[in-house]
Amino acid sequence: MKKSIIYVAIIISILALTALLNSCQSPAVSAKLGVQIWGENCLRCHNSADPATFSDVEWDVAAMHMRLRANLTAEETEKVVKFLQSAN
Amino acid sequence: MIIAIIFIAAAFSLSAEDGTDSKPGVSKFMLRGYSHSGFESVTVDKDTETNFVGGSINPILMYKQSDRLFFEAEFEGAFEDGAFEWTLEFADISYVINDYVTLRVGQFLLPFGTFGEKLHPAWINKLATKPLGFGHDGIAPTNDIGVELRGAFYLGSVKLNYQAYAINGPQLKDGSVELDEAGMLNFGYTEDNNSNKAFGGRIGIFPFSNSSMEIGFSGQTGNVGAEGSDYEDVTATLYAVDFSYVKSIKAIKSLIDIKAQYNGSSIDLGGATFAKEDGDLYTFNNETSSYYAQIAIRPSLIKNKFFKNLELAGRWSEIFTPDGALWKNDKRRASIGLNYWLDWKTAIKVGYSVTEGGSLVDDHGDADPNDLGLPPQNNQFYIHWAMGF
Repeated sequence: MKKSIIYVAIIISILALTALLNSCQSPAVSAKLGVQIWGENCLRCHNSADPATFSDVEWDVAAMHMRLRANLTAEETEKVVKFLQSAN
Repeated sequence: MIIAIIFIAAAFSLSAEDGTDSKPGVSKFMLRGYSHSGFESVTVDKDTETNFVGGSINPILMYKQSDRLFFEAEFEGAFEDGAFEWTLEFADISYVINDYVTLRVGQFLLPFGTFGEKLHPAWINKLATKPLGFGHDGIAPTNDIGVELRGAFYLGSVKLNYQAYAINGPQLKDGSVELDEAGMLNFGYTEDNNSNKAFGGRIGIFPFSNSSMEIGFSGQTGNVGAEGSDYEDVTATLYAVDFSYVKSIKAIKSLIDIKAQYNGSSIDLGGATFAKEDGDLYTFNNETSSYYAQIAIRPSLIKNKFFKNLELAGRWSEIFTPDGALWKNDKRRASIGLNYWLDWKTAIKVGYSVTEGGSLVDDHGDADPNDLGLPPQNNQFYIHWAMGF
């Protein structure tokens, strides 16, 4: 019971923190182009994806998968998808 | 059944792509995955065995229902003991609560370090083998059923990511099924053996704004003994530290990829004992650890088309098991490999591994901690191909 209260408190704290983060924009990401984010993040685990590999629709799905797996932010994901869809 | 589902899903995906439906819907489906196969030669005490191995397939189904709802599932199909078997790696639903929090429920890969969640697929793993202590027979949890919150955000130019989860958790082997495995943990059970859930998480830090370096800290704790048994108060605390550095270095015209992870497992038996074959009772300090360090270099910045697709990889890994356990079996492994990338997700891997410590490894490179008494060294040569699709 005590553990459950602690974990509920942690979850509420995370949600409160995100509300605070919502009011902040990262200048580090805002200044970057999608091609730069693509070049920096794909390589962390595997070779950089060839934009020609998938269609626009498929990139939209693959990007959602990578947002979760690679812990990309919403802004990073959006920029990478736009780059891949424009370059394929 | 699974094959039928995959083919129907693929056909559905193709029909959506052929242009006959001019109004694209909100929901989108995608079939991806990977496969690998190869040839291996394993030498133990001058006795060499050669085999074609692998032939596995891992289809991954992805379904984006909306910008907030996402489903993904991975099956692994491979021959086990002469019979083809499908296993479920993960099947989970994610709901994007906001830009910084995503809720995930179902069976998912656990963010315990990075190897199990991100680096193990055959087309991503730089070598055909896995580090000691990793994989399905490792000491680090791989997948489980539960609920998770995850997300990423920036604090200035420093990027942070987090995952926090509650799962059924691993289970303690009490020796009733395999006497020699008493005190080990079993991961990936679909049903809990007690009402106590395991809790864990990971925090990853990118100190540099170019995301070239990440340092991660993971932990998980929970009761592992079966309710009502002599082991119901036994708890396991697992922890890991992972490191990644990936950077193109112009001076050597190459991409450098360094990965490392340390895993620790501390099981508080609280005085609980196990029985030997002759009935004698025993206990031990149940502490296990493993680690690996890996480097890969690819001259991707040179102009020669052949050499820029070559990649040299090396890895060192060790596992330390508890003194007094019947599964005591420390090992260390050195591996070196040369990969040729046919495209960004297809590689031919040639490699050589030397494992010392008394145990054979299976065709996935996983150590079998039950092989006590076998010769102290085996040498493994392999040629593998791996393809992501």
